[in-house]
Amino acid sequence: MSTKKKILLTLTIGVLIVAGIALYMFNKPARDVQATETDFSYRASAIVNEYLTDAKAANAKYLDEEGNSKVLEITGIVSDISEDFNNQKVILLKNATDKAGVSATFTVETNAHTNNVKLGDEITIKGVIRSGAAFDSDLEMYENVIIDKCDIVSK
Amino acid sequence: MKKVILTMIALVTISLTVSAQKQVSTKTHFKFFSTTPAENIEANNYASVGTITPASGDIVFSVPMQSFEFEKALMQEHFNSKKFLNTKANPKAKLIGKIANLDAVNFTKDGTYNVDVTGDLTINGVTKPIKEKATVVIKEGKISLASKFNLTLADYEIAFKGGKPSTNIAKTVEVTVEANY
Repeated sequence: MSTKKKILLTLTIGVLIVAGIALYMFNKPARDVQATETDFSYRASAIVNEYLTDAKAANAKYLDEEGNSKVLEITGIVSDISEDFNNQKVILLKNATDKAGVSATFTVETNAHTNNVKLGDEITIKGVIRSGAAFDSDLEMYENVIIDKCDIVSK
Repeated sequence: MKKVILTMIALVTISLTVSAQKQVSTKTHFKFFSTTPAENIEANNYASVGTITPASGDIVFSVPMQSFEFEKALMQEHFNSKKFLNTKANPKAKLIGKIANLDAVNFTKDGTYNVDVTGDLTINGVTKPIKEKATVVIKEGKISLASKFNLTLADYEIAFKGGKPSTNIAKTVEVTVEANY
């Protein structure tokens, strides 16, 4: 093989690899939250109180700059069960005496796992944190911790 | 008889106050839609909280920015990153508005009412005044709200300097809002 041919071949392979990586990056699938290792496990009251004590520190600890925030397992008492506009189940884990709770949104795939969940049950969910609890003076109410992509964790 | 009338007046007053009080919505949908010749990009958020106060016309929404879901993971990462929405530093967007033509809405009568909402919208830590049209629907005593409006990203210091995002994301995006109270 001539030197010219070798260079051409190397260049072609190089370009193909770069294009392949670029295509993969562009189309890479969303992170599978359930397959991701849990970063922290808490009772609902604990993370709510952590946020109400120092929201800034809690955001720094749990939120990720690119939205791949911490994966949490939260145990608490089911105080509300609803459904959002995307037909995803939303379960609120909240102690009757707490100011705020943890709102857990399930997915189309995991919705069915909530079928047997009743108000008053104690359950553990796993999901990714999207935002923390706080008193909002404009809403004049406490906002819940929001956890997304949830599934039930069987103990 | 007098007692009955008094009781009735009291009941009516109570029911009127209830309907005039602040109502909360956790069933919400916010959508961003951007269209360019290169591609259409859509992001959906179902986790916002809103309130409406019929007596004053006050409307508030708090939007958790990391709850926006994109079809492509890379776009979602771009959206959240420091270069764009900086959602770690500004995890929530906020709308504080008021129905300007409150007289046009009868909260006690079923119907569809066109309203003008004026107020302040805070995204990416930047607050700008807004004035948008919305629809209030009253059905069997339940309030719902819908709106569709355009946002100019540069107004909120969301800038795309060069690269793929600058050609593939529109300068103005369409925002769709729906909320059931």
